[in-house]
Amino acid sequence: MHVNGTTIRVEQGDMTLTEIEAIAFYATEDLKLGTGFGNAISMRGGPPVQEELNNLAPLLPLQAVVSSAGDLPAEYIIHANGPKFQETDMAGKLKTTLVNTLAAAVEKGITRIAYPPMGAGFYGVPIQECAKVMVNTFIEHAQRGSSIKEIVIVTMNKREYQPFAQLLHEDTKEVAA
Amino acid sequence: MSVQTNGKQRSHKAEMALKRMKSKLNRQVVGSLVGCVHCGMCTDSCHYVQTNPGDVTYAPAWKADRLRKIFKREIDWTGRVFPWWVGAKSVFSDEDLEELKDIAFGKCTNCRRCTINCPMGVDFATFNRMLRGMLVSVGVMPEGVAVVSKDQWEIGNQMGVLKEDYLDTLEWMADEMQIELDDESAQIPIDKKNANVVYSINPREVKYDPRTISDAAKIFHMAGEDWTMPSEGWDMTNFGLFSGDDDLGGAVAGMLYDKVIELKGKKLVISECGHGYRSTRCEGPNWAKKDVPFEMESSVITMLNYIKEGRIKVDKSRNPQPVTFHDSCNNARSCGLFEEPRELLQLVCEDFREMYPNRAENYCCTGGGGAMSMSEYAGRRLKSAKVKADQLKATGAEVVVTSCHNCVDGLSDCIKHYELGMEVTQLVNLVANALVIPEKPVVVPVEKEAEKVVAHAESLVNRTILIVDDEPDILTFFSTVLEDNGARILTATDGEEAVELAMREQPDLITLDINMPGKDGGWVFSRLREEKATSQIPVCIISGKPELRRLIYERSVPPPEGYVDKPVDEAMLMRNVRKILDLSKRDQTHSVESN
Repeated sequence: MHVNGTTIRVEQGDMTLTEIEAIAFYATEDLKLGTGFGNAISMRGGPPVQEELNNLAPLLPLQAVVSSAGDLPAEYIIHANGPKFQETDMAGKLKTTLVNTLAAAVEKGITRIAYPPMGAGFYGVPIQECAKVMVNTFIEHAQRGSSIKEIVIVTMNKREYQPFAQLLHEDTKEVAA
Repeated sequence: MSVQTNGKQRSHKAEMALKRMKSKLNRQVVGSLVGCVHCGMCTDSCHYVQTNPGDVTYAPAWKADRLRKIFKREIDWTGRVFPWWVGAKSVFSDEDLEELKDIAFGKCTNCRRCTINCPMGVDFATFNRMLRGMLVSVGVMPEGVAVVSKDQWEIGNQMGVLKEDYLDTLEWMADEMQIELDDESAQIPIDKKNANVVYSINPREVKYDPRTISDAAKIFHMAGEDWTMPSEGWDMTNFGLFSGDDDLGGAVAGMLYDKVIELKGKKLVISECGHGYRSTRCEGPNWAKKDVPFEMESSVITMLNYIKEGRIKVDKSRNPQPVTFHDSCNNARSCGLFEEPRELLQLVCEDFREMYPNRAENYCCTGGGGAMSMSEYAGRRLKSAKVKADQLKATGAEVVVTSCHNCVDGLSDCIKHYELGMEVTQLVNLVANALVIPEKPVVVPVEKEAEKVVAHAESLVNRTILIVDDEPDILTFFSTVLEDNGARILTATDGEEAVELAMREQPDLITLDINMPGKDGGWVFSRLREEKATSQIPVCIISGKPELRRLIYERSVPPPEGYVDKPVDEAMLMRNVRKILDLSKRDQTHSVESN
């Protein structure tokens, strides 16, 4: 989908191997990378990523912060402390978190970002709701005019891919600002 | 944040957990919740009760009543109208949820032994799993459960094995098999379309026990099977079974099913893993809400059929030691897989001894239900393992065989704790060991062999290799082989010396023994990776104990470039060293150019 000069698309793959300027990571307050995507970042990015994060912690709820990405193909990682495990107003908080990641990217001059399905899976945001909030937030951001030129949602399997694909393919025409 | 309920404040988490419970109730669960008559038949069936006889909080009926009270207060009309009469009690605070966590995760392995001993058919394990799911949905769970679940959600397997490490391990196992069989056609085919068998494994095999992969590959090869392993969606384990998270269960099983469909595989063979077999074959289609258009089978049945059909030949005299068999709860009690492993054992072992009780009545290894990942309950687990230890000891066997990776870990811990001195192995290892491999006629082209040695003699010139090992014999052997091939050798016999030498000398490669006194190989490996000066030096881990791989792979640093199992022979050492130093390709190129 193209919105006001920004491309929003979904692809199936491995987010930490994506050739892109920045990847987003659903972080915790202490900014410990931990397991899951955090494990992949640690293993593929190397120890300097966590070392840098130790100096950036704590990350307050819904906030985002940018670190370097070590040996990953991406140059930066945008860490976002989003809502978890059926907190109140999950959708609203997820939207705020996403807006903050976009703001952090713009401030850093990042123009291409890859996102996993933020908060879905382990943290319990239903994948349909996740897709709706993410796609709507990205469209709204792009409609206002943005220096971000490409947003890629990278999913691990068909189950995650389909809801995003449906939403993004619903309207393949250029959406006016 | 909290909400007002019947005049009492209820925390948001408690409210959400109850909402989840209400959404998960079905006939089976409600039947179990209302069916208990408190007859006490379940009590002595539980290994926790048997080892804690004075503590009622371990009794299955008591544990079940914690959820039953909530059900009565929130759902059943008797508890809503007369809570004081029927003992109905709901949850209100986060502390109430923590108390439930202690019961659901810390006092039950979901082994279902109480279930089959209940005259009313109350399936406590099923609603204990539901209770776990309620808690997990609001983030209340043991740290280990969170760690494993997140890995499986985001990496696609429960041990966070990255794709490159998985594929690398398969390649190495194929290489080992080729050398052992002296047969270049022995391969582990990846993502082959239309294969008769798609083989799925447990990530524990990649991380800690890769010999089970090469053993299975050897059996498939010798049987002449048309088989393959998937590059993705290969994990047949499913932590959703343990955490009670049906969504995770569906996501994981769905990935595996989708991959088999994509490859157009005819049959999915599941390696030896109790919960993996149950999750993939029995529960997965429901969780994933999918019709599965292919056959699914335990590798135990596959191996048994190969022997029965004469596709492989075995010699039981190669496994002469007395063995006993431990039935995995998920295989035996939940899936009825208990005669086939015995039939197979009789074919590949000389001295099989039954353990009592057995089959569906066997006791849990005590590491089931994800218990091995919950270190906070290790004390309780090992105390309850006394029942298992007594069972094992009574067999007089030297080896205990099981068809479950989880049980391998549970039994190993039990054997170590109670000093039983037994070995734990799986059927795949015994079948591979008993395989009769037709000998090839040996023709040694003397001149060509000599040329090969000369050609390789220069291959490590200008390379410095640091050998770290506390065993003098290994140091001498490695030094001799590598020096003969032109390398400059440095040696260290302890961890600190190794790090110091590596920093100072900047070798091209380090071979590192894991098991050393004092600072072990795990410590050395971390230090090497963390120090800028040594972080890029390739490391080849050497170990005689696959279970020690965790000392390396559980560290959040990039994995080693190579891994070699002891005993190591000259060919194996050189092949691995050359591979890591990327000399193989150069030699091949050179050889082509020379030709």
